[in-house]
Amino acid sequence: MPVALVDTKFFLPRSREGLVARPRLDRLLGTERRRLTLVSAPAGFGKTTLLTAWLAGPAAAGGSRRTAWVSLDEADTKADVFWTYVLTALERAAPGSGAAGLALLGAGQPMETVLAAVLNELSVLPDDVDLVLDDYHLAEGPEIQAGMTFLVEHLPPQVHLVISTRADPALPLPRLRARQDLTEVRAADLRFTHEEATAYLTGAAGLDLDATDVAALEARTEGWIASLQLAALSLRDRADPSGFIAGFAGDDRYVVDYLVDEVLDRQPDGVRDFLLGTAILDRLSGPLCDAVTESTGSGRMLESLDRRNLFVVPLDDQRRWYRYHHLFADVLRTHLLAEQPERVAGLHRRASDWYDEAGEPEPAIGHALAAGHVERAAELAELAIPSVSRVRREEVIVAWAEALPDEVLRNRPVLAIGVVGALMSCNLFDGVEARLQDVERQLALPEDQLVVHDSDGLERVPASIEMYRAALALNAGDPVGTVAHAQRANDLATHDDHLVHAAASALSGLASWTLGDLEAAHRGYSAAIDGLKRAGRIADVLGCTITLSDLDMTQGRLDDARRGFERALELAEGEEPGLRGTADMFVGLSRVAWERNDLAAAADHLRRADELGGSAALAQNPYRWRVAMARLREAEGDPATAVQLLEEAQRVYVGDYSPNVQPVPAVHARMLAAHGDVAGALAWAHRQGLTTDDELSYLHEYEHVTLARVLLAQQSPEARAEALALLDRLLAAAESGGRVRIVIEILAVQSLTQQDVAPLERALALAEPGGWIRVFVAEGPPMVKLLEMLARHRPDWPFLRRVLEAAKAGPERGPASPQAAAQPLIDPLSDRELDVLRLLASDLDGPDIARHLVVSLNTVRTHTKHIYTKLGVNNRRAAVSKAHRLGLLAH
Amino acid sequence: MNTARTGHSDAGWYEIHLQGRLEPRWATWFDGMTLSTTADGASVIRGRVADQAALHGLLSRLRDLGLPLLSVVQIEPDDV
Repeated sequence: MPVALVDTKFFLPRSREGLVARPRLDRLLGTERRRLTLVSAPAGFGKTTLLTAWLAGPAAAGGSRRTAWVSLDEADTKADVFWTYVLTALERAAPGSGAAGLALLGAGQPMETVLAAVLNELSVLPDDVDLVLDDYHLAEGPEIQAGMTFLVEHLPPQVHLVISTRADPALPLPRLRARQDLTEVRAADLRFTHEEATAYLTGAAGLDLDATDVAALEARTEGWIASLQLAALSLRDRADPSGFIAGFAGDDRYVVDYLVDEVLDRQPDGVRDFLLGTAILDRLSGPLCDAVTESTGSGRMLESLDRRNLFVVPLDDQRRWYRYHHLFADVLRTHLLAEQPERVAGLHRRASDWYDEAGEPEPAIGHALAAGHVERAAELAELAIPSVSRVRREEVIVAWAEALPDEVLRNRPVLAIGVVGALMSCNLFDGVEARLQDVERQLALPEDQLVVHDSDGLERVPASIEMYRAALALNAGDPVGTVAHAQRANDLATHDDHLVHAAASALSGLASWTLGDLEAAHRGYSAAIDGLKRAGRIADVLGCTITLSDLDMTQGRLDDARRGFERALELAEGEEPGLRGTADMFVGLSRVAWERNDLAAAADHLRRADELGGSAALAQNPYRWRVAMARLREAEGDPATAVQLLEEAQRVYVGDYSPNVQPVPAVHARMLAAHGDVAGALAWAHRQGLTTDDELSYLHEYEHVTLARVLLAQQSPEARAEALALLDRLLAAAESGGRVRIVIEILAVQSLTQQDVAPLERALALAEPGGWIRVFVAEGPPMVKLLEMLARHRPDWPFLRRVLEAAKAGPERGPASPQAAAQPLIDPLSDRELDVLRLLASDLDGPDIARHLVVSLNTVRTHTKHIYTKLGVNNRRAAVSKAHRLGLLAH
Repeated sequence: MNTARTGHSDAGWYEIHLQGRLEPRWATWFDGMTLSTTADGASVIRGRVADQAALHGLLSRLRDLGLPLLSVVQIEPDDV
């Protein structure tokens, strides 16, 4: 996951004891949730308190209501961070609802794609979910606005958005209001009425006040809850409350100033000092406060502040972390700045040191910057870059670079090169070359003019410069330049700089691949995997293995591909269970088994991949899994399901950096042509603008072979002639490029078209070492005839016999029966549930499914709930893939 | 680096009136701006902001104090 999550932000605050019951607000909020509930008021109006009481209240007692809570902060204005929190909260509240979206988000997909996947899941959710975004004003900004509007407009009826904010969100509020889709609670509603103020002051706060005193306080504070709370604190244990209230009422100072002064004045010196000293902290814990205030006993102090309601808010269940109420913290800070300005830098410095020792570089660097200690911030940043990059939070490094003055980057080559890496990871390529040149200038300086904290890092800088230039060249569409810079990076890299070796090799491999030089690409990826293993980056090894094994298969080495996947799985066993990419290895093994016509093993591998779940899969796995399953279903004689799976695969397709040499639409077109839909296949060729006169390139080879197959399926003499000419050209190109897999296929097609066993004999000779069988079997009965002809000439060729027997066996079994009796389920699905299940496999959302079946949405949800239970899954995607596995979706 | 801090020349001088009298120590909170109060119990914050984003940042800090905003006016620069 690219974003490291702060767990306390998902913590739904417990509703505090001693609350004033507010039935009029409960009535306003109602028990029927609308699409959006907006609680909009300034600080200190009790928004969060109201929501926690409401969510814990009788409306929730009905049972099937879940709460997804996020406490937002300033860092959440970045779209990827914001949505990671929102989707994670949804996933935690309703497992299965956010996972697909999170994977797409991690793969850098457009926000609408991500949200469409999430809404798709949410729309069939059996339970109601409240998605609560607390302190939304802190996150709102141009980056998240469009996504939020899309979300609000498309929310399914069982999901309710609840927003608390200090400023009205830039959402289409008038439209929502007009459609009765909006419940609003505003400052005027939240202000304490006279009754509530009385209940609070004389009840919850336990003060002995008469009606005149209460009225005076209410008038002076205008029912503002935070100031009434402060007033209650000031009044506690006062001999003459009425005198105090009269003084307060007659003063025109800012109420919070007046009252905080009063509260602070009444604290013992120790408490006052503690409050001012810790005012600079965003979060408070005992040990942190001890370090910052150079004292002991802060933990007890925080507990006592919490007990006395002195404006600390617990952030977790264990009472370890707190924060000050925002309003109180602001006032405390002005006191600190005005009364003890000389103390501020030291406080920040000690906070920075504490966070550094606690292994939290982000707040450590933030406080160092606040202390004006830029050298220290630079040092911490330099040392933190490797670990921050490892968890893919490079945007944090970019933010540090923006906060640091330019000068500190001018004599810190290790920091400067780290910043370059972070910029490139964030796709910020502008000015990178100038930065690289500046780093080169620094390297030419005498060492005593440089500042280096990560001394191992310095000797790695020259190779890194070249590696980043290789990446720049690749980004600029210059594969030749990429290879040259990558070569230099590899030459310059110290022998133990495994990451640079790996990255340069992978860049070079990728560039060679796009140039069609598979030998060089293979060398590059092999070296990359070597380096990644040495560097302990096993998850990245899995990612590169997919590419390397693809190359192996393209070059005909099916067994090498299998070994690659198996070795990667062995490595993954030493890691955390369910390491991302593990599922992809099983999909790869399934492909190998399919090519060898071992359909049982292929099915078994796909089942393993599926059982590992979404978190063990790369973002490309959902489409790859479906393509593999489609091939399996076709081999089993169920082309209808196969075509359906390929249509799904196109919908969930996610690309990566690798060239897309086997596009799903081409696989789909091939399947259409093979099963009689020639017009559909021709439409594909037309859409792609493919013709038989095209200049050939490896990148479009699979599509051109598909075009030839489509033309042959037309069964006209002209098309046949064109197809054969194209195949001749393709064969020559594939042979000279050493692409054995496609050579075998072209030869097989040629032998069938020309009814000539000579090409078939060559194809079989090429296929034997790797054990390629499916490529022949897939051609069906005509191939059986041809193989028999060849067998008469070559009676003692065991491989030929194997292929022939496999081809004669035909489809393993007929299409799976949709009847309930044939279902491998203990509790079979009803016909209606099967109908719903089929629609769940489409891209229709809940309301569309309801319309389609002419039932209510609630009925759809009930069916969905039953389907999930019977299939033992908890989300739509899992239900559909399990259904495919069980053969429930066949027509 | 610091490119974000320069940008357009929409820097300007502003005078902001708030209902309620703020203690003088809040001046440190509104970095580099002057804080005064009027006889009718309002606070006046006056000074230069770097750009529109800085102005909006300042307004949201004022919002967070819960003080009603009376006016925001662009003014002629003081003689410095």
